[in-house]
Amino acid sequence: MSRLQPTQTDLVPGEAVALSETLNAAMPKTARFRMPSGHPMEWFAFVFLAVLIVSSVFVEFIPGLVRASFPYGDFSQGPEWSLNGLFGTDALGRSILSRVLYGARTTLAIVSVATLISLVIGMILGMLAGFYRGPVERIVDLYANSMASLPPILVILALISVTGNSVFTMMLALGLLDIGTYARIAKGGVIAQNDRDYVLAARAMGASDMRLLLREILPNLVPALTAIVPPLMAGLIITEGSLSFLGYGIPAPAPSWGGMIASSTDLLSRFPLLIFGPIVAIVLTVYSLNTVGDCLARRMNHRGREL
Amino acid sequence: MNDEPSGQAIDAGAATHAFDTFLRDDALLKVRDLSVRYRRGGKIFVAVDGVSFDVAPGETLGLVGESGSGKTTIGRALLKLLPKADTRVDGHVEYDGLNVADLSASDLRAIRSKLQMIFQDPISSFNPRRKVQDIVGEGLEIQGIRKAERLERVDRALNDVGMSRTMVEGRRPHQFSGGQCQRIAIARALAVGPELIVCDEPVASLDVSVQAHVINLLQDIRQKRNLALIFISHDLAVVRNVSDRVAVLYMGKIVEIGTGDAIYQRPAHPYTRMLLEAVPVPDASRKIVPSATPTQALSRSAPPSGCRFRRRCPRAQAVCAAQEPKLAAMPYGQFAACHFPHDEPAPGMKTAEQA
Amino acid sequence: MNEAANTTPVLDCHELSCHFRSPFGPIRVLHDVSFSIPPRTTLGIVGESGAGKSMLVKTIMGIAPEGMKTSGRILADGIDLSTLNEAKRRAFLGRKFGMVFQNPMTSLNPFVRVGRQIEEASRFHLRLGKAQAKALAIELLASVGIPDAAECYGHYPHQFSGGMKQRIMIATALACQPDLLIADEATTALDVTVQKEILDLLQVIQQQRQMSMILVTHNLGIVAGRTDDILVLYGGHVVEYGPTNTVFSHPRHRYTEALLSAMPRMDQPAHTKLHTIPGRPPDLANPAPGCPFAPRCPAAEACCHASMPPMTTSADGKHRFACYVPVQTGDAADTAVERRALS
Repeated sequence: MSRLQPTQTDLVPGEAVALSETLNAAMPKTARFRMPSGHPMEWFAFVFLAVLIVSSVFVEFIPGLVRASFPYGDFSQGPEWSLNGLFGTDALGRSILSRVLYGARTTLAIVSVATLISLVIGMILGMLAGFYRGPVERIVDLYANSMASLPPILVILALISVTGNSVFTMMLALGLLDIGTYARIAKGGVIAQNDRDYVLAARAMGASDMRLLLREILPNLVPALTAIVPPLMAGLIITEGSLSFLGYGIPAPAPSWGGMIASSTDLLSRFPLLIFGPIVAIVLTVYSLNTVGDCLARRMNHRGREL
Repeated sequence: MNDEPSGQAIDAGAATHAFDTFLRDDALLKVRDLSVRYRRGGKIFVAVDGVSFDVAPGETLGLVGESGSGKTTIGRALLKLLPKADTRVDGHVEYDGLNVADLSASDLRAIRSKLQMIFQDPISSFNPRRKVQDIVGEGLEIQGIRKAERLERVDRALNDVGMSRTMVEGRRPHQFSGGQCQRIAIARALAVGPELIVCDEPVASLDVSVQAHVINLLQDIRQKRNLALIFISHDLAVVRNVSDRVAVLYMGKIVEIGTGDAIYQRPAHPYTRMLLEAVPVPDASRKIVPSATPTQALSRSAPPSGCRFRRRCPRAQAVCAAQEPKLAAMPYGQFAACHFPHDEPAPGMKTAEQA
Repeated sequence: MNEAANTTPVLDCHELSCHFRSPFGPIRVLHDVSFSIPPRTTLGIVGESGAGKSMLVKTIMGIAPEGMKTSGRILADGIDLSTLNEAKRRAFLGRKFGMVFQNPMTSLNPFVRVGRQIEEASRFHLRLGKAQAKALAIELLASVGIPDAAECYGHYPHQFSGGMKQRIMIATALACQPDLLIADEATTALDVTVQKEILDLLQVIQQQRQMSMILVTHNLGIVAGRTDDILVLYGGHVVEYGPTNTVFSHPRHRYTEALLSAMPRMDQPAHTKLHTIPGRPPDLANPAPGCPFAPRCPAAEACCHASMPPMTTSADGKHRFACYVPVQTGDAADTAVERRALS
């Protein structure tokens, strides 16, 4: 390939249509679901998340697993090859694995609800800002930018001082954090679509603004938004973990990953493996969420190119 | 019928009476002095500058022009599809006797079913995430037509374009070819029962063989349903084929308007001539003598004084810079805005007498 | 001038074929395409989308997409390109052939000044010094009709209109004094008056520099009057190849005839019904045996569906077409030639 000639490997639009006719002829009527592209680490991410979610929801039904609050064994035992002792025991003799799983339930629940709050509010604000522009856009931008400039921890501490330490507070506090990000993405997606022919065609049919937003524009925002949910959730897990570590999370004795790390810090010099369990849980969960997010983003790009 | 506003300043003399006759009283769509201005980066661009024309029921008006002529903007302005931000639309648009600007939201929605649009790129005029049969029935759904009648009208519209519901069932836009998509787009427009369809470069992105199908289809449907069409295109051969009357646009103004025969056989405006001469004709006997002229930068936000075309016009004189020409009657029935219009037949064109 | 050297074709393609692998099997984009371009002539390559014309010129230039497998021979100025290694081929092609692309908006690098983009080629291939290259670039800009060339040398692409950008692209392609200029749908994205200017410019430059030229387009009108020969592609096959005037006045292949009659004409009255070509473009993944146009051809017979028609050459040897049932010219010599070919 001549270094100096501008490369143009795009097909001329007409050619793309002719070729895709051929390819489309073999496609079934409904779109095919495509599994992640074969890389084993991606499979691991999906499987891990699935296992984590299922086992944290049904943790009571796992046969042989002791309760998180039950001091069943010796103190500060290292990990061993048994169900309860997989991550060892903590300073009070409780199974760390069990505490990790119960903590997972709490963490996942908090982060899921928080994401839902952020997503819904962010999407609404972003769609209104992108569709109507003008003063609405300016207000939403102002909100998003100011939220982005404040350190999240401060915001949350302020909220906690008002409503106290509880699961509800955490959900609300974390929910406030990512509204700006979702709003910005939604706004960008809406602005990109405002002048597209299919939106104009719907307007020519007499569609109301609400109908345009919900029926025409929103479905095309879904790929971008779903691709970004997992990484943002991963961020919330770390934030929640940090807060629990600092003692502002759910109060003890409810297990939480950050809290478990916090309570082990004094004993770390003698029993370093006490933090093994919660650390592994956080790292693997954050990794898996980010990888799943990458997969979704890739699928979104593929789908776009297909058109 | 309603009074026409005497908005445009008309030259006194013989032209006055003649000017009024191309704006007819019984027209379906009357456009008077339509202007569209938009602001970008602090500067004001005039996309459409005082355009007036009308369309009779069942008639096809072709709008030809190059980029920057404003033809697409006119089409969108008629259907009120221009963005609301930073855009100003002035002028008077009257449909079937009703002033479009004065309508309430619900009346406007009722009129929507009478005025429809077909877009240039058929695939992107469909929402990629929706199914085709939903798309075709969308207009009816918005109007609140019940499902049974909706299905029947969708079937009829699809049949009119040579397709059937079984062909499109369950499929999404990207599974169809460009020509098929355009036919589906026509079906979508037909389903709501329009009286006038604005076609915005409907065949520009199609191959010649597919283009012929779609053009013939439009002609059939137009005849069958007595539709009026506004056919916007840069392709003069296509416009010649489909149009009864043609308006030639340059930098936001109509420079010539008349019947297809007059415009193509006896073009009066130098720009029309320039356009016609530039069209590549697949004729064996053609012998092109190339002329290498240097190009010129043209500013869109600051058009030249007087006649906008004068910088490119081989016939321009001093008066062209001083005074902007108004549309005036020409010997063969069309109207042209030029101080020195052509009178002789276009070279190479067969006139009605010679054909 | 050496007479023999003057007649070596600038470009000679023998049975060029291209295919690439897809999840649906191999897709053949070009089948046995053969043609030759004498010096100082223009060839028009026409076809609709999917015919392979763009892929043909990209393969010749060596910029076909990844994964495209090519067979056949390409000779440039008598030299077989497959005998050159990668680096030599790039150097050779960069100097001998220049290419102008369809979309001037995306072909020029928006972040690099226009003058520098023109210089790149001359500095690399011709090893010109900085000052020389700059002088050449300004001269080229002037020769393609850019006003105030010296000043425009330092401008960025976005400061120019579409037509001017295309002129700049042409200047870039001319920097190394190529023997062959390939214009791949170079005017498709332009207004019709600008299109005429650019095509006129190309013709003038071709005459001045005694180059050969290829005009690739789907618009038959563009090749009329501006090309010496025309190559018609359908489904990756050459269906007709010959002097432009002959092909337009007496098309032999049914596809060429159908294409010419499907185009709307300005001298026909309004509402004339256009001739259409029934059916759809060929499926490149599952090509039918026989002539690719047979499913849509009004004159197709059994033999057309059964096997690929061979190239028939007209009596004077210049006009070739691949059709079992060609359009009759009424010329006895032609009919005799065909009967011989079919027997």
